[in-house]
Amino acid sequence: MAEQIVNGNEALALGALKAGVRVVTGYPGTPSTRALASLLAMNPENVHVEWSTNEKVAFEIATGASWAGLRALCTMKMSGLNVAYDSLISVAHSGIVGGLVVYVADDVGANAGMAEQDSRGFAALADLPMLEPASVKETYQLVQTAFQISEEIGSPVFIRLVTAVANSKNVMNIPPAEPPPLKPPLLIKDIQKYTKAGSAICLAQHQDLLNRLEKARHIFDEMQLNPLHLSPRSGKVGIIASGITRAYLGEAIDFLENLGLQKEDLSILEIIASNPLPLDQIQQVLNHTQSVVVFEELDPLVEREVYIQAQRCGFKGNIFGKLNGLFSKVGAYELIHFIKGLAAVCEIEVTEEVLRGFHSEELAAPRPITVCAGCPHRGTYMAINQAIRKLRLRKEEVMVTGDIGCTILGMNPPFNTIWNEISMGASIALAQGFVHAGVKTPVIATMGDSTFFHAGIPGLVNAVQHQVPLTLIIMDNGWTAMTGMQANPGTDANFQNGEGKSVDIAQIIPSLSIEHFFTIDPYNLEASTATIQNALTLPGVKVILARRECAIQAQRREGRPGNITVNADLCNLCKLCITITGCPAISITNGKLEIDTELCSRCGLCAEVCNFDAIQLEMPG
Amino acid sequence: MIYNVYLVGVGGQGVLTIGELIAETALLDKIPVNYYPTEGMAQRGGLVKAQIRIGQEFVGPHIPEKNADLIVAMEVSEALRTTQFIKPGSDFLLWGHIWLPTASLLGKQGYPGLDTVKEKIAQAGAKLLYLDPANLPTYQGSAIPDNLYVLGAAVRNTSLGKILNVETMGKAIENRWPKAAEKNLYAFQCGFEMASD
Ligand SMILES: Cc1ncc(C[n+]2csc(CCOP(=O)(O)OP(=O)(O)O)c2C)c(N)n1
Ligand code: SF4
Ligand code: SF4
Repeated sequence: MAEQIVNGNEALALGALKAGVRVVTGYPGTPSTRALASLLAMNPENVHVEWSTNEKVAFEIATGASWAGLRALCTMKMSGLNVAYDSLISVAHSGIVGGLVVYVADDVGANAGMAEQDSRGFAALADLPMLEPASVKETYQLVQTAFQISEEIGSPVFIRLVTAVANSKNVMNIPPAEPPPLKPPLLIKDIQKYTKAGSAICLAQHQDLLNRLEKARHIFDEMQLNPLHLSPRSGKVGIIASGITRAYLGEAIDFLENLGLQKEDLSILEIIASNPLPLDQIQQVLNHTQSVVVFEELDPLVEREVYIQAQRCGFKGNIFGKLNGLFSKVGAYELIHFIKGLAAVCEIEVTEEVLRGFHSEELAAPRPITVCAGCPHRGTYMAINQAIRKLRLRKEEVMVTGDIGCTILGMNPPFNTIWNEISMGASIALAQGFVHAGVKTPVIATMGDSTFFHAGIPGLVNAVQHQVPLTLIIMDNGWTAMTGMQANPGTDANFQNGEGKSVDIAQIIPSLSIEHFFTIDPYNLEASTATIQNALTLPGVKVILARRECAIQAQRREGRPGNITVNADLCNLCKLCITITGCPAISITNGKLEIDTELCSRCGLCAEVCNFDAIQLEMPG
Repeated sequence: MIYNVYLVGVGGQGVLTIGELIAETALLDKIPVNYYPTEGMAQRGGLVKAQIRIGQEFVGPHIPEKNADLIVAMEVSEALRTTQFIKPGSDFLLWGHIWLPTASLLGKQGYPGLDTVKEKIAQAGAKLLYLDPANLPTYQGSAIPDNLYVLGAAVRNTSLGKILNVETMGKAIENRWPKAAEKNLYAFQCGFEMASD
C-alpha cells in the first residue's frame, strides 16, 4: 500500500476498520463529519455504516450492536454529545460487550460557529475513559487502543479530537484492513446489567462503573500510555501537557533554549488519557519539582486535579495555568501560550513584542458569509421579508426564530430575517415561548429538513397539542447541507444508502392534525410570498414546506442548464437585484451589471426582483 | 527546522488546491508535512485559509505569529488577515485579485486600497512579491487557472523553491489532473516563468 495523505478523521476511520469495527453510526457535525463520510465512501465489506437521524439514535444503535458482541463506533461533534448524553450515561452504568468507541470532535476556537465546549468534562461526568490523540498518526493508533480497552474493561471509551487534529492532513502508510469476520450475534438476557429496575441494581451498576474506570487506570499505567520524563535533578520545573498541547512543546522549548532555558531541568508529563487522569504520575512530577505549569485548552480539568494532588502530597510550589490567571479558558492554544507559560515557570523574561506579529486584520473588509448562488433558502428569506412588508408590519416586530444549518444564514445581510439560534430543532419550541409571552404579531419558526427530523418533530407536536398560533417554515433542500450534503431521512430514495427509503415530510405534517399546511417553491417568489402572507393571517399551527433541492447538489448532478443574460440597455444600475438577493454571482464590473455564469445556478430570483426586465432567464424545455 | 506556509483567500479561488499540491509534493519527496485547511463553511465567498508546516513529524498545526516563511494571499483585503504571521524578511506573495464583499459593492462599507495593503505588508517586515491579475496569460482562448499560476510563481521566486522540488510539483499536478494535465501544467509553467517586478 502506497503512502497517502489522510486527515485525522480519515485516520480515525481507518484505525476503526483495522480494529475490526462492524457497525458505525453517527450524525454529521463539523469537524467530525469526514470520519463517517469516508467510511461510507469506502463501503467496507461486513461493516454497516450509516448516518442516523440524530446522535442519540446513533449511539443507541451502536450500543445494540455492542451488546450483541460486535465492535461499534459512534461519531459526532461536541453538540451531538449533549444530545446523546442521556443514553450514554445509562449505557456507561450498564457496561458493554463488544468494544464501543464514541468519537467526539471538539471545535476548539469555534471555527464552525457553535458554543465552544470541552467534552472532556463529559467523560469525567460519565466515569468513562477518554483518549486524546495529538496528531493524525496517533489517531490511527489510539482508536485501536480505545477498542481494546473498551472490551477489556467493559465500558464505552471516548476518543476526542480537536478541530486542528481532525482536519490536519499527514502522510501515512496504512495497509488495507481485512474485512472483519462475521461472528454470530449474542443475545444476553441479564436484567441486572441491561435494565435499571430498582435501586439495588442501579447502585451495583454505579459501583461496577467506577471499578471499570479504576481498571482502565491500571491498564494505562501498565502500558505507560501517558509519557513521563523526570529531569536528572529534582527541585526544578514540571510541565504537564494534555491533548494537542503536547504537539507544541518541542517548538516552545527550542525557542526558550536560546533565552536561557535549561532543557535538562524540565520534567514533562504528557497526558493522552484525559480520563482517568494519571494521578500517580502527577504526584511524581509534583514530588520532583518546585513549580509546575499545566497546558490544556478550554477547561482547567487537569489543572484542578493537579491542585488536588498537590494538596495530597504537600506540594508547596507554584502552579501556573488558568486558575492563577495566566491563560484563558477561551479559544485554541498557540505557540505563544507555551512560551509564556514556560517563561513564567522558568522565570525567563520574554516580552510580548518578541512574540507578537504586526496585526492589520482590523483593516480587512468584513465578509459575512451568505448562501450560495442559487440557494433555495434565498427565495424563502426574500418571501418572508416581502410577506411581512405586505402585511404592513415592520421586520422589527415579527419574531423569526432560526435553527442550525445553512438555514441560519438568513440572519446575515441582505436578508436580516432571522433573529436567533440555539440548537438543533429549538426554533419551533422557542417560538412557542414568545407566543406565550404575549407577542401579538405573527411568530415564525424556520428550520431545515435534517433539523426537523433530528429534533424538530417533538417541538412541533408540542405546538399542536397546545394549539400555539405560529407558522413553521421547513426549508427542505433534501440534504443535510451545511455539513457537506449528507443524506437525511427525507433525502430522495435514489440517494439513500443501500435499501434505504425516503421519509416524506409532506406526509408527516398532515398526520399531525395540522390543518393549515402549504408547500411552496422558493424559486417562485410571488407565489411563496402570497402563501406566507396568507399563513401569517390564519389561526392555529401553520406549516409551510419550502421545497427545492440544495443548489450545489442539484448542480453536481445536472450542471447549469439554461442561460442568464443581462440587457445593459434596460438595466439602470439601481442594484436592486444585489441589494435584495445578495447573490454572489452578481457584480458590477466596469460600471456594468454582470452575472458570473459559472457561478449562477439559474434560480431566477434576481430576474424576479428586477423592475426593468433587464435580467433574462431562459430555461430549456 | 520547520518551514511554514500560510495561505489565505476567498472560497472558490482554489486556495486549498495550492495547499494540497504543496502537501502532495512534500509527500512525493518524503518530507514530513502537516497540512491544516480551514474551509469555513460550504458556502462560496467566505474566508479560506490553510497552514502548512513542512519538515517535522510531530508539530502543532497552527503557525505561530512571526513564523511564516511564506505567505500566499489570493485576495487583496484578505491579505490583511495574515500580516501578523510573516517572519520578518520572508516572502509575501500577493495576488492582486479584488473580490468585493456585497456590502462594499453596494458602497455600504469600505474596502482597503491596494496601497494600504502593500504598506501593511511592508510594515510587517515582509518581502512583497506582487502579481497583477491583469497579466494572467490565456490558454486556448481562456484565462489559465490563477491558483496554479501563483503556485508556479511562488516556487520560482520565493524560498518555497528551496524546500520543494519543482519537478516533483509538476508530477503532483499531473497526478491530480490526469486528463487536464496540459492546461494546468501550462498555468504552473507560466507562473514559474513570469518575470517578477
Ligand atoms: C446536535 C448537533 N449535531 C450536529 C450539528 C452540526 N450541524 C450544523 S448545521 C447541520 C445541518 C443541518 O441540516 P438542515 O437542517 O437540513 O439544514 P441545511 O444546512 O440543509 O440548510 C448540522 C448537522 C449541530 N450543530 N448540532
Ligand atoms: S450548500 Fe446548499 S443549502 Fe447550503 S447555502 Fe449552498 S445551496 Fe444553500
Ligand atoms: S439567477 Fe440570479 S440570483 Fe439566481 S443564482 Fe443566478 S445570478 Fe444569482
